[in-house]
Amino acid sequence: MCQHQFYVAKPALKSSVTVCARMRRDLRGALLLLLTAAVQSSSMSAPGKPVLLSCRSPEKETFTCWWEPGSDGALPTTHHLYYERERLEGTYECPDYLSAGRNSCFFDKNHTSIWVDYYLTVMASNALGNATSDPFKMDVMEIVKPDAPGNVTLWVEEREASPCVHVRWMPPSNTDTKSGWVTIKYELRVKKDNSNNWKEYTSGTQTHFSLYSVSPGGVYTVQVRCLLDHGSWSEWSNTTFVKISNYLQNERPLSMLISILSAILFIMAGLILIAKRKSVKQWVLPPVPGPKIRGINSQLLQSGGSDNVGNALIIKQSFPPIYFVWEDQMEDYLIVTENEDWLSSNSQKRKKSLIPACFHFDSEIHSKESPCHQNDWEKDEEMSQVDNNNKPFTNTGYVDFQRHVENVQEADVKHVDYSRVKEVKGDNVLFLEKEKVQSSGYMDFQRQERIPEDYSRVKEVESDHLVVLQKQNAADMSCKDEGNHYTDCALHKPRKPHVCTELSDSGYVDTIPAPPLM
Amino acid sequence: MPGTIRSVSLVSVVLLVCLSSRRTSVGAAPICTNGQVGCHVLSLDNLFDRVIQHSARMHGISSDLHSEFEQYFLPSKNQIGRVGRICHTSTIITPNGKENAQRMAREQLTEVILKLLIAWRDPLWHFHQSMAHHHDFNNFSSNKALEMNDMVHELRQGVEKVAEKMQVLGIISNSVTSLASPEVLLPSDSADWRLMKDYDLLYCFRRDSNKVQNYLKILKCRIVPDHGC
Repeated sequence: MCQHQFYVAKPALKSSVTVCARMRRDLRGALLLLLTAAVQSSSMSAPGKPVLLSCRSPEKETFTCWWEPGSDGALPTTHHLYYERERLEGTYECPDYLSAGRNSCFFDKNHTSIWVDYYLTVMASNALGNATSDPFKMDVMEIVKPDAPGNVTLWVEEREASPCVHVRWMPPSNTDTKSGWVTIKYELRVKKDNSNNWKEYTSGTQTHFSLYSVSPGGVYTVQVRCLLDHGSWSEWSNTTFVKISNYLQNERPLSMLISILSAILFIMAGLILIAKRKSVKQWVLPPVPGPKIRGINSQLLQSGGSDNVGNALIIKQSFPPIYFVWEDQMEDYLIVTENEDWLSSNSQKRKKSLIPACFHFDSEIHSKESPCHQNDWEKDEEMSQVDNNNKPFTNTGYVDFQRHVENVQEADVKHVDYSRVKEVKGDNVLFLEKEKVQSSGYMDFQRQERIPEDYSRVKEVESDHLVVLQKQNAADMSCKDEGNHYTDCALHKPRKPHVCTELSDSGYVDTIPAPPLM
Repeated sequence: MPGTIRSVSLVSVVLLVCLSSRRTSVGAAPICTNGQVGCHVLSLDNLFDRVIQHSARMHGISSDLHSEFEQYFLPSKNQIGRVGRICHTSTIITPNGKENAQRMAREQLTEVILKLLIAWRDPLWHFHQSMAHHHDFNNFSSNKALEMNDMVHELRQGVEKVAEKMQVLGIISNSVTSLASPEVLLPSDSADWRLMKDYDLLYCFRRDSNKVQNYLKILKCRIVPDHGC
C-alpha cells in the first residue's frame, strides 16, 4: 500500500507516511479483534458442573470417593471436594487428593467415621468461574465393598475313584479379620474347560474349599470373591485354572478291547444258535410224543399213497401174507385140455377128491402142491398133499386157454375167447366144447377184469427171438415167470423138462403176430 | 381289660414325658447364670455366638424394611437436610470406628450396647402398631416389624445374660449400671422419637442395629478370641 502511495503521492510525501502508520494501527486492531474472536469461538468459560460418581470403603475403615469433572472451559480447572459431617460442625476439604488417583478423594482412618452421614460436594474452578456439584450423601456403613481375595491356589488330589480339586485363598490384604470388626464371607465359581456356565459355591468364612464333581481330563477355572458383613460383593479374583491329568486314558483302550471281544463272542454265539436253532429247539422243547394206536402206523398213514395205506395197517407180520399174494396174483390160470387120454390116465387118482369145478391153477408162488397139477405128473407124490389147498372160486383167476398157434390170427385180442365147459371130470379136469364162444359168456372168476388176450403156451425157446409155441397138447405145460414171482418149474414138471424162460416184462407173451386191434 | 389299657397308656405317657423332658433339658435348658443345679451351663463363647447371630438377624430385617420403605417413600436427594435427621439415640456416645471401639473398655462397650437396645424398645413397639393399622403395607412388612420388635427384646435379654456371665467370670467389673436400673439409661434430653417419621425411625434403627452387631463382635473377639474372629 505504501509503495503505491509513493508512486502516486510523489508530490505529497508527508501525507503518505501518515497513511501507512494509520494502516498499521488498523492492522493491529484487526488482529486483536481476530484474536479475541478466535478465543471466544473456543469457549473459554467457567468449568462445567462436576458429578460425584461413587464412594467405596474396602475394609470399613477408610473410604474413597470419585467424581467426574464437567467441561473444563478450555482453561486449567481445579477441583476441590468439600464435605460436611453429621455431628461435626463445619465444612472440611478432602484430606488426600492423590492416593487414590485422579479425580478422587481418599479419606484415611482419622477422617473416617462409621455410622455418620457425610455430605460431599465437588467444586470445579478455573479462571472464569466455579461450578459445584450436587451434594452426595453417604454413610460408610453402606459403601463397604472389599477387594477381591488373593493368592487363589488350586491343587488336584488324584484319588483312584475320583479326583478332587482343593482351592485355597487368602483374604484381601487390607481387611482386618482378627479383631472381629468385619466378618468375611466367600463365594467361588468354577467353570469347566471353555464353557460359559459357571457353577457357584458358598464357602462361608472358610478360606478353603474342595470340589468333588470334577472329571479327569478337564481344565477347571476357579474364581473367588468376598463380602463384608452386609456390604457389596467384591470383584471376582483373577482366574486360576488347573488341568486334571487323564490317567484313565490308559485303561480306556483295554476296556474298549474287552468290550469289543465280548461283543464278538456274543455275536458268534448268536449266529451258532441261529444256525442250530432246530436242534436247540428240540433240546429246549422236546417234541411231545403223540398217541399210538395199536395196529396203525400213523407215519405211513400220513405219508399217503394207496400202497402205504395198506401197509400202514400192518404192525406185525402176523397177517398171512397169502392174502396179499392173492391180490397180486393174477396169473393163475387153468390148464384146460381136450385130451381125454390124458384125463383118463389120471382119473383114477382123482376120483377121491371132489372138487367141483376145480380149475387147474398154476399159481407161481405157492402152488407147488397144486392139486390140479397132480394129473400132469404121474410120479409126483407131493401132489397128494395138495388136496387141502384147493382154491376157491372166489380167488381171482382166469382161464387160460391153450391155443393153437393157428387160432391166434383169428382171435380177436380184445375179445375174450372162452370155451364152454362141457364136462367136469374129476378134480381138476374140464372138458370143453369145441365150439368157441365169443364174448357171449364166459367164466369169470375174477373180480378184476384182465386184459383179454390170447395166450399160447411156449413150447420152447430156441433162440433169442424164436419161441416155439405149444400145440394143443394138454400134456404140455409151461411155466412162466413173471417179474416178481418165481416158479420152480422143476418141481412141477419132472417128466418133461422145459425151458423156462424168464420174461422180463409182465410175463405175457403176445402172440405173433399180434392181431390188429379192432 | 379297659382298666389295664388305661393304666398302660398312662404309664407310657408318663414315660414319654420323662424322656422328652430329659431331652429338652439337654437341648434347651435354661441358661444358668448363678451356677444353679439342674440347668445346662453354656459357655461364654457359645453365649456370644448366640447373641451375635441374633443381632445379625435383627440388622438384616431392619435393612429389608428400610429398603422397602425407600421404594414407597423415596426422598429425593435434593431434600436431604444438611445436618440430616437426628436419631433419638444420637445422645448416646458410641464409638464410630474400629479403633475407638477397641479402645473402649469392656464395661463401657457392654453398657453402650445395652443402652441402645433399651432405647429402641418403645419406639419399635409403636412402629409395629402404626404399621399394623396402616393398610398401605402388606402383611409381610408388618410381620417383619413385629419380628424386629421381638428381637430387640430377646437380644437385650441375651446381652444381659452375657454381661452377667462376664461379671461372674470376673471379666468385667460390676460397674454396669444398666443391669440394675434400666430406666436410668434413658437419656432425658433425647429427642422425642414420637416426632420422628417412620422412615427416619427405620433409618436410625438400621444404623443402631449395625452398631450393636459390630460392638458385640469386637467384644467377643476381645474376650473370647477364637477362630471365628
